[in-house]
Amino acid sequence: MNPYVLAILLSSLGIGTTLTFASSHWLLAWMGLEISTLAIIPLMAQQHHPRAVEATTKYFLTQATAAAMILFASTTNAWTTGEWNIQEMSNPTALVLITMALALKIGLAPVHYWLPEVLQGLDLTTGLILSTWQKLAPFALIYQISPMMNPTLVIMLGLASTIIGGWGGLNQTQLRKILAYSSIAHLGWMMIVMQYSPNLAILNLILYITMTTATFLTFKNVASTKLSTLTLTWSKTPMMTTMAMMTLLSLGGLPPLTGFMPKWLILQELTKQDLPLTASIMALAALLSLFFYLRMCYAMTLTIAPNTNNNTSTWRQKSSQTTMTLSITTTLALALLPITPAIMALTT
Amino acid sequence: MTPVHFSFSSAFMLGLMGLTFHRTHLLSALLCLEGMMLSLFIALSLWSLQLESTTYATAPMLLLAFSACEAGAGLALLVATTRTHGTDHLQNLNLLQC
Amino acid sequence: MFYFTFLVLIGLVLGLVGVASNPAPYFAALGLVVAAAVGCGILVGHGGSFLSLVLFLIYLGGMLVVFAYSAALAAEPYPETWGDWSVLFYVVVYIAGVLVVGGLVGGDWYSYSWVVVDEFKDLSLLRGDFSGVALMYSLGGAMLVVSGWVLLLTLFVVLELTRGLSRGALRAV
Repeated sequence: MNPYVLAILLSSLGIGTTLTFASSHWLLAWMGLEISTLAIIPLMAQQHHPRAVEATTKYFLTQATAAAMILFASTTNAWTTGEWNIQEMSNPTALVLITMALALKIGLAPVHYWLPEVLQGLDLTTGLILSTWQKLAPFALIYQISPMMNPTLVIMLGLASTIIGGWGGLNQTQLRKILAYSSIAHLGWMMIVMQYSPNLAILNLILYITMTTATFLTFKNVASTKLSTLTLTWSKTPMMTTMAMMTLLSLGGLPPLTGFMPKWLILQELTKQDLPLTASIMALAALLSLFFYLRMCYAMTLTIAPNTNNNTSTWRQKSSQTTMTLSITTTLALALLPITPAIMALTT
Repeated sequence: MTPVHFSFSSAFMLGLMGLTFHRTHLLSALLCLEGMMLSLFIALSLWSLQLESTTYATAPMLLLAFSACEAGAGLALLVATTRTHGTDHLQNLNLLQC
Repeated sequence: MFYFTFLVLIGLVLGLVGVASNPAPYFAALGLVVAAAVGCGILVGHGGSFLSLVLFLIYLGGMLVVFAYSAALAAEPYPETWGDWSVLFYVVVYIAGVLVVGGLVGGDWYSYSWVVVDEFKDLSLLRGDFSGVALMYSLGGAMLVVSGWVLLLTLFVVLELTRGLSRGALRAV
């Protein structure tokens, strides 16, 4: 792609999300969402192979539908109450519609079907943008309307996302689909705590972005998109195999790693809010997710040297990719648990 | 609920249902999207007209500009899909299914 | 005047039924033309003559030419019209659905139905929408810039999506 065009697209991606962040009016928020959707489309279809174009088409259709639903719900709200402000929506029908539209945009459970397919069709860099930066703008809108949303709907979205996110990933061997289901599950955790403590949801979002960035960059560095090619990682970069294993366990939420922090705090918050049943279901659903993270860890680290290779060996060329972002995000994804109070202070 | 409100809401919902349930051609899906945008344009215009709110008359114009962009991108995707898949039937977009 | 407004509202819903019931794209575009035309009627009936003109020019003049062109490209030998059974079934279902929902929510429709604006403004030269759209060039300058930017962006999006015979794996067309 021409660098000038790339610059225009990337800056539009930034402008769109920033516009949504900065707006208090639904029309402007909608415009920002549209701009960021339009800007990522050529990035997704960059390779022009059939799978990329198919993923782009699916992404475009879902995002355009969700954006139209958002605008329709806010127009309905304006017709009944005369209010365009994001934080002062009050019509219940419009609120339910807009919650579902934002769930569709961000990929929450009953309307998540586009996310694994779309992510599977992209290369890892665009997939990284899609699963981190593109979540920010709809998430900011969810954060702003969270006090008015229907509590039952929010709880149902959160529970369904964690359960389906764990369940759907069980049978997958493609890394990008597994990461898509992991994204669905993490968004479910954010959704469930959204009305009780929005700061925890923000904390979870920040940490999820850190961990998933580390994972995507690791896979990009070893050019691996399947479980079977993941088994050869040790022969390319032994040190990163270890780090990647721990990053995956951090995504799964095991104790001495960063990923444990949001799960711990959210479960504590749910218990404080007198919702023990919800908390138990969430904790059990996290085990489902943990299974496929563990399987990836197994494929990466427990099939090494004394065993025979599970796959045809590839050329071991020296990688020329920069690893600065990868090392920083991996460090953050592994070792943030001791400074939990500082991060909590950061997000309140 | 006034008749105007009811008719643009039902028009939008019909477009949405057409988009979600019936998808033989990609072009049909894009036309349903355009129908949704049309009903939103009418809703926004009527809102500003009914309230005699002069400044809000720009909102439907902005909506029209953005929906034109969306339609343009959709048609470009139609061309790209036809090139890679040979047809614009949405059934053929099945390379990525689980 | 009241019956006219009511008639075009029904026309809008019927036009969208025609689009949504999954006929061939050619006929769906026709349904969209009908819906846009009666949309102009609705706006005129409520006194938005300039917005109606814009809808007429941009929608019918610009966008639907493109859509008709694409519908011709995606043509098939035996297109489905609204007379075919599969499409007719959905038409009937959608109309019945609209009638049922309308019956449910429409108990007191006429109690606070809005008056049509142009009954009061027979001799007014300057309409609200006319000057309101003009405000986009003074007060709403930032919005104008955003819209211009997104139109430019779309130009590049379309270019990047469709260009280049040298790239891509399969070329069926």
